[in-house]
Amino acid sequence: MNGTIQNRDAFLGHIANRLGRERKTSVERPKWKYNPQDEVLKNATQDELVEVLKEQCKNIHTNFVLSNSKDLTESIKKVVNEYGGGPIVAWKDERFDQFGLTNLMNKEWPESGVDLHFWDHTKGKENIDKANYANVGITVSDVTLAESGTAVLFSSKDKGRTVSFLPATSIVLIPKSTIVPRMTQAARIISEKVRSGETVASCINFITGPSNSADIEMILVVGVHGPIKATYIIVEDM
Amino acid sequence: MAMKIGTGEFNDRVGTGIKDSFMRGAVSSAQERFQSRRLSAAEELGNWEDWRSHGEEIRQHVLENLDYYLYQLSENVSKRGGHVFFAQTAEEASEYIKNVVEKKEAKKIVKSKSMVTEEINLNAALEEAGCDVIETDLGEYILQVDDHEPPSHIVVPALHKNRQQIRDVFKEKHGYDKSDEPEELALHAREKLRQEYLNADVGITGCNFAIAETGSVTLVTNEGNADLVMALPKTQITVMGMERLVPTFEEMEVLVSLLTRSAVGQKLTSYITTVTGPKEEGDVDGPEEFHLVVVDNGRSGILGGEFQSVLQCIRCAACVNACPVYRHVGGHSYGSIYSGPIGAVLSPLLGGYDDFKELPYASTLCGACTEACPVKIPLHELLHKHRQVIVEKEGRAPVSEKLLMKAYAFGASSPSLFKFATKIAPTVTSPFTDGDKITKGPGPLKAWTNIRDFPAPNKENFRDWFKNRPKGGAN
Amino acid sequence: MKVTLFATCMVDLFQGNVGKATVEVLERLGCEIDFPEAQTCCGQPAYNSGYVEETKAAMKKMIQAFEHAEYIVCPSGSCAYFFKEYPHVFKDDPVWKPKAQALADKTYEFTQFIVEVLKVKDVGARLNGKATYHTSCHMTRLLGVKEPPMELLKHVKGLEFTELPNKEQCCGFGGTFAVKMPDISEQMVDEKVEHVEETGAEYLVGADAACLMNIGGRINREGKNIKVMHIAEVLNSR
Repeated sequence: MNGTIQNRDAFLGHIANRLGRERKTSVERPKWKYNPQDEVLKNATQDELVEVLKEQCKNIHTNFVLSNSKDLTESIKKVVNEYGGGPIVAWKDERFDQFGLTNLMNKEWPESGVDLHFWDHTKGKENIDKANYANVGITVSDVTLAESGTAVLFSSKDKGRTVSFLPATSIVLIPKSTIVPRMTQAARIISEKVRSGETVASCINFITGPSNSADIEMILVVGVHGPIKATYIIVEDM
Repeated sequence: MAMKIGTGEFNDRVGTGIKDSFMRGAVSSAQERFQSRRLSAAEELGNWEDWRSHGEEIRQHVLENLDYYLYQLSENVSKRGGHVFFAQTAEEASEYIKNVVEKKEAKKIVKSKSMVTEEINLNAALEEAGCDVIETDLGEYILQVDDHEPPSHIVVPALHKNRQQIRDVFKEKHGYDKSDEPEELALHAREKLRQEYLNADVGITGCNFAIAETGSVTLVTNEGNADLVMALPKTQITVMGMERLVPTFEEMEVLVSLLTRSAVGQKLTSYITTVTGPKEEGDVDGPEEFHLVVVDNGRSGILGGEFQSVLQCIRCAACVNACPVYRHVGGHSYGSIYSGPIGAVLSPLLGGYDDFKELPYASTLCGACTEACPVKIPLHELLHKHRQVIVEKEGRAPVSEKLLMKAYAFGASSPSLFKFATKIAPTVTSPFTDGDKITKGPGPLKAWTNIRDFPAPNKENFRDWFKNRPKGGAN
Repeated sequence: MKVTLFATCMVDLFQGNVGKATVEVLERLGCEIDFPEAQTCCGQPAYNSGYVEETKAAMKKMIQAFEHAEYIVCPSGSCAYFFKEYPHVFKDDPVWKPKAQALADKTYEFTQFIVEVLKVKDVGARLNGKATYHTSCHMTRLLGVKEPPMELLKHVKGLEFTELPNKEQCCGFGGTFAVKMPDISEQMVDEKVEHVEETGAEYLVGADAACLMNIGGRINREGKNIKVMHIAEVLNSR
């Protein structure tokens, strides 16, 4: 159902008036004179982008793990252990199966007593409670920005927004194929979806390392509201 | 807390600022760190001037077509089930938000940092309605716990406070008994605030950039507080200055890149979040109800006039961090929630000359602000424009200054009189000279000679020397 | 080459030695100097205080005084910049706009003229000692002249150059700012003097008489043992 819009005509009429013209009913998005964003990492190969991402992780207090499909299970287990184990909350995401994690997540962890909760919209608010008490949150990047070291997460009903915020630590799986030079390409991917009639996700997170603040004496404190530690695990999927 | 903060005259506030040695140390070291980070973040791109020009062209295009893009934005918010309210004044905006909050019977409200809600004095209105309003940005939270102290910097609101002061505030108000280490102080705030998010009925945010094509709003933080404000309460209200929008995601990303590099020298901050409408069917987190309040509050008065370019501002505070005046007087001296060069331009426009007429003069017109601005607002020219308005349109300049300037203009436009002045200057000033300098000047010169010498006029007239010198190079 | 000297009111009234040095350096480089007696002040003090209309009369006199010139050379970055600002001031005046533009186009700051027009970097000067240089705001930011003074100082024999910390920061002069906001101006000039002292330089060199009058006035009042010199005086030393 459409939402309400109040006071619009008077408000916009006043603006047009101040601009000295009638209200505009259509505007062509201009062809911009400058496009410096296209120059960044212009002809980089996928492997070069991985290297850029790796370097950038040092700047954003984020642990970087390179993994192939064989040792992915071991890599995740190692990071989870380093973070002190469960409880874990993870997206209900078919990509975990594609990456060969079914055994770990559906069998090995539950059997060894690791509390793992998959975000499941049918369970309602319980998901948030689980996420709030979780030690580790696991998500999968939809688009990854090499330049800034950013994971872009599109939320949906089984991919809750707060999985990457409420737990004390965060693990983001980065499929190598999702790595692009910078935010420019992510914005284009989203725009293309929009223009082809797809509904844009109600929440898109561009996450760059753990939560931090320099509000006290300009001293960097890592972990304020969101996760205190973050790890990116690169998954070789190409 | 409305636009205006603090009390007293501008000069008294400046006097207080100059005497606050902790604040000044904090400000100057913050300025230097911000500056060097900003410069290296700009330099690593290699074509920063193109980035600035791109930012400028985007912002100019949006302002020129503001009615269209606001229309498109509101249509798209509505299509996604969000409500849009256009507020001409601060009161209309506050009133609407208060009504929403009352309808929801909300008791607890969490907020993420927003200058425009300060501008419209929203917290006071909500507290009046019996709500508990909690600021969640760490710096703002500290100020709020400390009896609502006003911010002194638009990016680092509690810049003027040191860790001992913060510890004492937490101790007095919360019985905090740990150390003054920033990690421990932040952990205390984390624990306190986590409960607040989970129990809040309404979340209120500002808006870094709204996106017309999709009806989205983008929030930029390092702490992630805006994300929790938007994810947990059942109702979200986003308040935006009417100019804070872009056509599509593609322009948003350019401006976000300019913002984060200019504000904190980061390629991107930790959390950049774009939300579109309320949560979708089946979603667990995210608000059930979404309201977007578009605020004019004086901005349309700037549109279409000689100050229009100030509306290009993306609130990065790069100008604040570059300003040598801000460096010595701090944010509170400006008497406005908007401090530094952007505050000196914007405050008189939004708040009027009665309260802010001194601000345009709190600048040497050194141009550091203009050079730092990522969207090329000619800030020092706008400061000068204010002076012109104050003198020529408002007629607010002091009489003594007017007379002096008239005399000066008369002298400078009369070559014979000026030449005469170069001849008689030594004689006229002789009562005040002490060898080759003046140490106790009369009239307006007194403010100069109180702290420094002024040169005595040339004894040998330069013009005479020039005429009589041996030509062809003195070797 | 025929050069028309725009001495500036500051030099004309108070700092004749700077004017003399300017003339002597340029003559030694083979220029023929002309000094229009009708010159007064560029108008910047009143203009910057907001008295735009009142200043225009003085500006027109200056345009007339320099109408005949081939090259206008000025030993002050700020005043040279202000000539460049004239076309902007007269932008809506069809009569004076082109005249103002012509004036602006042939105006050069002293060091800029030597390096960019005369193509000279070594003027044969000698000054023994340690010097630092104040980069004036209007000269560097608004006029955009950064390198020429550095090039020229590099070639002065016997001169050891040391960079001024926070060199891009304003000295606190700002025309009428110094007397309108004296408390803030004092803090600014004090910080500038502190930085000059940190360098241990014997000479503070600058290319703008106004900034030097401010910093020098404070240095003298405080009795510091630092000599303040205009760059023309340095280049005229042998």
